[in-house]
Amino acid sequence: MQSSSEAREARLVWAFILPALGTILLIAVFPLCWSLWESVHLHDLRMPWRGQPFIGLTNYREALATPRFWEALRHTLLFTSLSVTLELGLGLGLALVLHHASRGRGVVRTAALMAWAMPTAVAALIWRFLFESPAGIVDAVLMKVGTTDAPFVWFIDPVLAWVPVIVADVWKTTPFVALLLLASLQNIDLSLYEAARVDGASPWQQFRHITLPLLRSAFLVALIFRTLDAFRVFDLIYIMTSGGPGTATEPIALYTFSMLFNNLRFGYGAALAVGIFLVTGVLALLYVRLLDKDDIGAAS
Amino acid sequence: MPVHCRRCIVLIVAALLAFSTDGCRTPVSQSRVITFPGSAVGAEAEVLRRQLHRFMENHPDIKVVQRPTPDAADQRHQLYVQWLNAGADDPDILQLDVVWTAEFAAAGWLLPLDRFAPDINSFFPSTVIANRWAGTLYALPWFVDVGMLYWRTDLLDHPPRTFDELSHQAAMVQSRAGLPFGFVWQGARYEGLVTVFLEHLGGFGGCILDDAGHVMVDAEPAVQALTYMRDAIYQNHIVPSVVLTWQEEQTRFAFQNGQAVFMRNWPYAAALLTDRSTSQVSGKFAVALMPALSTATPTATLGGSQLAINAHSDYPDAAYAVIAYLTQPAQMLERARIVGQYPARPALYTASELASTLPLPPEQVRRIIEHAVPRPVTPVYTELSDILQIALHRALTQQQSPTEALGEAARAMRALLTKVELDPESRAQQGQSHAEQ
Repeated sequence: MQSSSEAREARLVWAFILPALGTILLIAVFPLCWSLWESVHLHDLRMPWRGQPFIGLTNYREALATPRFWEALRHTLLFTSLSVTLELGLGLGLALVLHHASRGRGVVRTAALMAWAMPTAVAALIWRFLFESPAGIVDAVLMKVGTTDAPFVWFIDPVLAWVPVIVADVWKTTPFVALLLLASLQNIDLSLYEAARVDGASPWQQFRHITLPLLRSAFLVALIFRTLDAFRVFDLIYIMTSGGPGTATEPIALYTFSMLFNNLRFGYGAALAVGIFLVTGVLALLYVRLLDKDDIGAAS
Repeated sequence: MPVHCRRCIVLIVAALLAFSTDGCRTPVSQSRVITFPGSAVGAEAEVLRRQLHRFMENHPDIKVVQRPTPDAADQRHQLYVQWLNAGADDPDILQLDVVWTAEFAAAGWLLPLDRFAPDINSFFPSTVIANRWAGTLYALPWFVDVGMLYWRTDLLDHPPRTFDELSHQAAMVQSRAGLPFGFVWQGARYEGLVTVFLEHLGGFGGCILDDAGHVMVDAEPAVQALTYMRDAIYQNHIVPSVVLTWQEEQTRFAFQNGQAVFMRNWPYAAALLTDRSTSQVSGKFAVALMPALSTATPTATLGGSQLAINAHSDYPDAAYAVIAYLTQPAQMLERARIVGQYPARPALYTASELASTLPLPPEQVRRIIEHAVPRPVTPVYTELSDILQIALHRALTQQQSPTEALGEAARAMRALLTKVELDPESRAQQGQSHAEQ
């Protein structure tokens, strides 16, 4: 009697899970498998006469032998490390300010969220406009304070073109990091600080030995989200620099897009996409393990 | 909650119905339905609608349905490739950018037009060359676009004929009249940069691919042309470095506000520059051919639109009837009058109607179109252009020397052509085996 009800329950569980499982299979696993299949075939939409033969790892080998691929990878790593470091640093500062601000916290928090809520494409257009010369505000300000005497063209310098891009990304996503850390800050038991004060700990020691360790989990979560997002950066750069000058600011996602949708090389593009998937997958696994360890550490 | 569900179901059913009615394309009462994709907005869609309506009045057995497609060339291209690659019989007629014909023809997506025996001699020769692939005609020119040099008639008494003269005039007028820019062109990393480069390149006696299909972008004229463009920015200071982020409209704004002595642009700018309410150079400008070395021919990049037939079309004859009608002189003149697009038939440039409707003297425009050069007619043009755009932009933003950038581009272009068996050697072999058959 009991076992049959258990079996019924199990069936019910499956009935509830199956739609979700099916959806995941359809929108995540199936496209992934298809990409894998494409990546080991020659498939140039433009050249149907070449057919779609199996070519093994040729597409991957081509990517590894292409300087533009390695450059794009370097750009992606540079963008990710710079922007994520800045965002975590500034986000922590902003969170501390918000945490200690007693008045107007709600207003400031809403204002901070505005940047995060804005579609990336819109933010990118605004920032491009600000940095554009000769009409851009940034140039006008620089000329006013006398840093430069002629309008400065940000987007034609292979190094300086990164400045507007990273500024825009930091502006847009720092609030997200700040809110995540703020939530965690507000959960810290105040009695810990009281005890520390009684023991004569300085504010810096309190921050160093109470706040930071207890923010670790939130920090890791922010780090995961931001790294994975930054690694796949596309829209921001597509709109601000299109990867230029030359290909000096082209990230791996933009290179893939260009191969897939401009050159319509589906096989090669799929190989690149699988590459991005592998890297982000490894990063995600690494972070999840870190988080796991963190939870165990916190529990014991 | 139930209300929600019901609304969902209604929506789903409605969507399904919409798809199913759209999906089946049953010919209504024996008439043949021809689908025609094109711009959905503005005067361009309006004039096309009017012309197709007249066509249907003359041909009651053919019904032409307009398919709205994106205006942006890249998006339209992507959509076409998806349709054609899937072997769709819809749309029947395709509106092609001048650089797409070879690509679509080589893919087997276009119907050869030779069997309809169109009178190709009545079109500009360069437009016909651009529409042939492997000796077969695949599209008919609809209207022509061409790159030209805009110059200020209030500051100069004649346009420059050589590059040195252009540099000299630009620098002189800049200092005399206090203009911020001497010469503006489209220098952002996009197709426009290749069209500008091609005009400089031709003027220095070079080309991208020669007649046999050899890559020529690392030859001496190419290096000279790119060096000239770069020196104009950093040595002679006649071209502002900001052009390296500019497309057509930004150059037009600069010229329109009276900031530049010269501008390279397409004919569309002329109508806007003539508008007194916004333009400060109305009545103070004229167009000319781009300059050239005395040993070379001035060159204008050919642009414009072509009409072709989907190889899978159910009614190729009816589709050709539509194309033949739209490319007739009367329709071309009407298009010129309403949307300012230049006819692909040289004979029309003596028509008085054209002179009274266009902002530029037809005779001058015809002379420029006669110098028009198509970009390389090859199925892999987009990839070649991509390689070239990057190399040009790298050299112009001083990341590489012109020799280095063009050498790298030439190697990449040769490798690509060899890989897809379109290099001169493979083509010669294919030609032989073709002849043996």
